[in-house]
Amino acid sequence: MTFVEYKMLNPFQRFAYNFKKFFKNIPSAIGRFFKACGRGIKKFIFGIGKGFKNYGTTFVKGDWATKLSYLIFGVGDLHKGKTYKGILFFLVEVLYALYMIFFGWGWFKDFFTLGTRKTYVTYDEMGFPVNHPGDESMKILLYSTLTIVITAIVFVVYIANIKDAYRHQVMKQNGQKPTTLKQDAQEFLDGKYHITLLSFPVLMIGIFNILPLIFMILIAFTNYSKEHFTLFNWVGLQNFGQLFDVINSNKKATTFIGIAGWTLLWAVVATFSNYILGMVVALMINKKGIKLKSLWRTLFVITIAVPQFVSLLLMNQMLQENGAVNILLGQLFNGGQSMGIKFLTDNVWTARITVMVVNCWVGIPYTILSMSGILMNIPEDLYESARIDGASPVKTFTAITLPYMIFVTTPQLITQFVGNINNFNVIFLLSGGGPTTTEYFGAGKTDILVTWLYNLSMGNEQDYGLASAIGILVFIICATLSLIVYNNSKSMKDEEAFS
Amino acid sequence: MIKSYKARRIISNTLIYIILAVMCIIWVSPFAYLLLHSFRGEGYVTVNYLIPHEFTFDNYIKLFMGAGGDASINFPRWFLNTLVVAIFSCIISTISVLAVSYTLSRLRFGARKKLMNVGMILGMFPGFMTMIAMYYLLDAMHLTRTLVALVICYSCGAGLGFQISKGFFDTIPRALDEAATIDGANKNQIFWKIILPMSKPIVVYTVLTSFIGPWCDFILAKIIMGDDRANYTVAIGLQAMTTPEFIQAYYKQYLAGSVCVAVPITILFLKMQKYYVEGVTAGGVKG
Amino acid sequence: MKKVLAILLAGMMTATAFAGCGGSGNASSSGSSNSSGGSSAKASGGKVDEAMFGDETNISLKVWAPDKGVSLAKEQIETFKKMYPNIKFKNIEVVAQGENDAATQLVNDPNKAADVFSFPSDQLNKLDAAKCLSPVSKAFVEDISAVNAEGTVKAATLKDSKTKEEVLYAYPETNDNGYYLVYDKKVVSDDTAKTLEGILKACKDAKKEFVMDCGNGFYSCTFAFTGGAVIDGFEDDGETQKFKEYDENEAVDTLMAFAKLMKEYKGTWKSQDPAQIASGFKNGTLGAGVDGSWNSVADKEALGDNFGATKLPTINVNGKDKQLISMFGYKYLGVNAKTKFPRTAHILAYYLSSEECQQQRAEKIGWGPSNTKVQETDFVKNDVTLQAIAAQSKNAVAQVNIQGTFWQAMGTLGNEMMKDGWKPDDKAATKKLLQTTIADVRDEG
Repeated sequence: MTFVEYKMLNPFQRFAYNFKKFFKNIPSAIGRFFKACGRGIKKFIFGIGKGFKNYGTTFVKGDWATKLSYLIFGVGDLHKGKTYKGILFFLVEVLYALYMIFFGWGWFKDFFTLGTRKTYVTYDEMGFPVNHPGDESMKILLYSTLTIVITAIVFVVYIANIKDAYRHQVMKQNGQKPTTLKQDAQEFLDGKYHITLLSFPVLMIGIFNILPLIFMILIAFTNYSKEHFTLFNWVGLQNFGQLFDVINSNKKATTFIGIAGWTLLWAVVATFSNYILGMVVALMINKKGIKLKSLWRTLFVITIAVPQFVSLLLMNQMLQENGAVNILLGQLFNGGQSMGIKFLTDNVWTARITVMVVNCWVGIPYTILSMSGILMNIPEDLYESARIDGASPVKTFTAITLPYMIFVTTPQLITQFVGNINNFNVIFLLSGGGPTTTEYFGAGKTDILVTWLYNLSMGNEQDYGLASAIGILVFIICATLSLIVYNNSKSMKDEEAFS
Repeated sequence: MIKSYKARRIISNTLIYIILAVMCIIWVSPFAYLLLHSFRGEGYVTVNYLIPHEFTFDNYIKLFMGAGGDASINFPRWFLNTLVVAIFSCIISTISVLAVSYTLSRLRFGARKKLMNVGMILGMFPGFMTMIAMYYLLDAMHLTRTLVALVICYSCGAGLGFQISKGFFDTIPRALDEAATIDGANKNQIFWKIILPMSKPIVVYTVLTSFIGPWCDFILAKIIMGDDRANYTVAIGLQAMTTPEFIQAYYKQYLAGSVCVAVPITILFLKMQKYYVEGVTAGGVKG
Repeated sequence: MKKVLAILLAGMMTATAFAGCGGSGNASSSGSSNSSGGSSAKASGGKVDEAMFGDETNISLKVWAPDKGVSLAKEQIETFKKMYPNIKFKNIEVVAQGENDAATQLVNDPNKAADVFSFPSDQLNKLDAAKCLSPVSKAFVEDISAVNAEGTVKAATLKDSKTKEEVLYAYPETNDNGYYLVYDKKVVSDDTAKTLEGILKACKDAKKEFVMDCGNGFYSCTFAFTGGAVIDGFEDDGETQKFKEYDENEAVDTLMAFAKLMKEYKGTWKSQDPAQIASGFKNGTLGAGVDGSWNSVADKEALGDNFGATKLPTINVNGKDKQLISMFGYKYLGVNAKTKFPRTAHILAYYLSSEECQQQRAEKIGWGPSNTKVQETDFVKNDVTLQAIAAQSKNAVAQVNIQGTFWQAMGTLGNEMMKDGWKPDDKAATKKLLQTTIADVRDEG
């Protein structure tokens, strides 16, 4: 389609065209994504190779202090007069050694077996039990992970120490002096300001997000469950195998496929219903001539402000068989007799639709807020010229408002989609996964993957290995999806459009 | 022609008013129900009518004064805990978010794109299993059963939520930085003296969203606090009131407690709504 | 490497020293395990020789009790301290902790949990799997077995995975963790309360509801149990739920009889959280319900003089009246395996489970005793709910050795039968439902 042809389409056709184009592009975008991943891996491996080469050549070219830096951190820097940095490097080594001796190694040595000694009880001469605690696989795994991460960090510091030693050696050979502490500090406020700003958040994320994440990923390859609570083992891909074991119609596989299907359906419907209805309401509120704009918005916004565990539990109570909704419906249509509709516990689709409707109640206000802002931001001169051209209100809407909003909010749509895949609160607090079914393992008909994961890890089943495997799969789905969309979206491509 | 146009507008506007009014009733009525029943004097858990027969302040009085006798239900204390945690975690979160988003938006360095991609996907891991790990890490630091642990938990991942405020920073013209650099300002000064003062909407947005977090979480907080009820937050406490052990005696107090949590946050939200909209708009468009 | 070894050695030595702090020096192995207690120490009635404390001094312990029991536990602990004037107690604190998640809390972090804690019987396996329970001291086993009801003791006795001998894991506390029938005497007479059909008819005639939670496995397992599909601990693998041999036809017929009543009395029989029962009585919409002992105070308050309680009714299956079989649990006092003062912790748990303490709990907070002497006291005999519980306990399955898979599967069974679209006469479907349920409980997916 040429540009002229495109321009001749009416906005709805354009929208349809863009919509189609978007979906048509998905396969190629996925292809590009995996290619990019491949390239990344290749680059990484080459990088390692290069690193080894540099490691060797630097050693050959280095003077005695640089060479000694291969064993003792910071010697090179100290020798070249960069005292503070040399001391810091050396301190890292000392601290690492102390950590390994007093803590790290004791846990890490059991990493491959995850512990073997069982807890047992004997009795003393008066008959009192004496507890002999054995190994705890969970702690072994956690602190081993910690040790691995710390070792990795220290390795990076180690390489930096060598590089720095060599750099200073070259500088000295060229007759340059190393920079002073003050100069370095200045640099950290300017050229290297990103390091200053990022260090604290990255440290926090590293300790409390990435480390637990690695731990959780490792759990997926163990049989950590209530039967193997204190001592568990590596089991390879067994947990993933269970989830995809369709051939033997493994109940866990049936559950996984059923729930994954519903999760996707839920995410699509929840995202688009919120988006479209929210947009309609926002348009109504922002229409010219409608008064009390802020009052309307305020009334909707209350749902955002009230914590979800309050509002959703309240909804749950109200939708019970003898809850407020049934009482109200009864008074309106049934002569005061409660209707007794089982919204959340009986029919599968009644429950699913109820959950989706309540989700609109929760989600529409967010859309209204962001849409209202965007609507107010549409450049006024666009409307002005449309009015001069004698365009009808309908025409103005379809030609200006709608395309603008769709263009501007696509990235948000994706965020919401991913958010809905992981929308724990609405399902957990509202329906608790019900109605129950005999088809699934540890899940009900409105359970989505995250709530099932919750049931498996925190609930009765306590199958942590399986739960982690599900977590990894959810992560892969969400991450792939959003990486593809973000890296292909307009806002990412012309990141500096406004600057 | 003009008349009919006007008439049409009146009709359509009336229609919109009606639709909006109906929707608002639907949206607000659950909270009206909550408010009404928090003053209910009779009954235990539920009643089979919509409007309570007896109105009383007892539920609120008991909630704040009673401290529940033997039961260690101590709502005022929990409220205070949550407030403290919310304030501190929102300070730390805001600093983290602003630092990360400013860096990713305005500064140029090698790993920037990679960091952005990693940051975006890290937050997508459904993390119930990570809670166990977090607990033991905090335990190794001797922080479990303290409010400090909660502050850490709620603010540690804040840096990952940089998208919206990065979008906001992206909209500030780059020429400003360049002009300042010519005048001899370093990047630190640019951040504090030029960009930050212009970022009120996004600061308020970040403060608001991170302030609300601690009022809502009842899973992680419960794991961290264990049996130490003096350090509970309102979310755990209110959740505990709906367990079989307490529900008969405490359900009405639970409703009152919910109102006590909802009202301040709602007021705060309404006051700050303008900035929230500005922040989410500017950031959302680009983020 | 040497340093590592040295530290490890040091650690092990401390551990051994710690293990031996009972005063014996060497932790004698299972040799003494068959004799019940040493020769010098005899224990009865919750009191022991002070020598039994060994060299534990400056004792500080944490005790978990549910909110209702905190103040009584505090009083009892004061008495306990006075019983041993020569022992130095630093602090024994009582912390409120709901029993429903006692095991979860304990397993999450045993080091920060209570030394002595109260928990319901279904958590026993979880605690054992996590190695969190210190078994009952051999010095007390004999006395405890003698004074407590047999079922209570049996339910807390598990096979040790290592030595294959039977070990008592916890101190019996109550005998009341079950459900029974509560009814409004104005609607349901004492006589009609004997059959399920009668109750439902009376409720329907009076335009009242009957509440039994069919979506919660704790209650809905009644449907399977009444038909004979009764659980019986684990298979030899120690994981798979075992069922007693049962006649499938009879089990299916029973399920169909239940489903028929649900259908016939649709609108009367409501499947709701038992927390609603007291509200229902108060609102005047409820005629009867199946409720748990923990709600009895509110139920009594709501109905006043019209409060009636008795064992579960019978149901007519193929012309025969069958007694409803329920799930029935006990509560125990457990000792944390990681306690720093194992001897004191055990002695305290022993005291708290004694006749004296059980009597006080029955009188002050209405907990049904497991001690046979207390069961015979006038106070317990005259208490309507305690009697209803005791009567039902004779027609019940002990809530122990239950797999996590049990609850959801049984809840689903009840939910399916309660669904509007369920056909009570469909024998094939009912049979399939039963088979699926059993397979799910046994995790044979």
